[in-house]
Amino acid sequence: MPIIVNLDVMMAKRKISAGDLAARIDITPANLSILKNNKAKAVRFSTLEAICRELDCQPGDVLEYIPGEASNGAAMP
Amino acid sequence: MKCKWTSDNSLLLTRVLTLAVLFLAAAALFCIPIITEWYDAVSEQKPIRTVLNIVLYASDLTGMFAVWELHRLLTNIAKQKLFVQENVTCFRLISWCCFAVAAIWAVLTFWRLLALFVALIAAFAGLILRVLKNLLEQAVAMREENDYTI
Repeated sequence: MPIIVNLDVMMAKRKISAGDLAARIDITPANLSILKNNKAKAVRFSTLEAICRELDCQPGDVLEYIPGEASNGAAMP
Repeated sequence: MKCKWTSDNSLLLTRVLTLAVLFLAAAALFCIPIITEWYDAVSEQKPIRTVLNIVLYASDLTGMFAVWELHRLLTNIAKQKLFVQENVTCFRLISWCCFAVAAIWAVLTFWRLLALFVALIAAFAGLILRVLKNLLEQAVAMREENDYTI
């Protein structure tokens, strides 16, 4: 996926723990972990809004576009 | 007494029937030499016992593998594992088994033209299963996207 989530960088800058942030943006720690580890396929605007509000940042601060191949799952014939 | 027919009962019936077909296919392996001997005895055309033996053994074994995959699919459905990659693989393998049987029977058309009907039916079944496989593959992708939307 050419979109990278830099959530851990912003969390470190704001000195906030994963559990704390998960509680503040009202998602489960497991889902926050998926987001942090770049395993998420999509982010809801409501989640992004909550992250930006709590971390006092812009969407561009947590999301980064790195040009590369799109990750389409290889299918078997 | 009122008998209530549920989806669980329906699934159980399908699983029992699948296993019955598997055992019948296994039993048929022992009957193939008798069938081919009988066919050559009643047929007025040139004897094709050896070719027919090969075709029937190959088809039966491929069919048994397909039925086993069907059983795996039904087991997953019973476990509520519906839109998973494993089921896509099952559909894909069953569809390729149908195409393999179609190819085997297509070879038999060199000796008996009527074998073409079996080949066409098997190929059509394989095609339908392939469409279902593509459909399930998209469903799995959609479920994954839904699960990984935060």
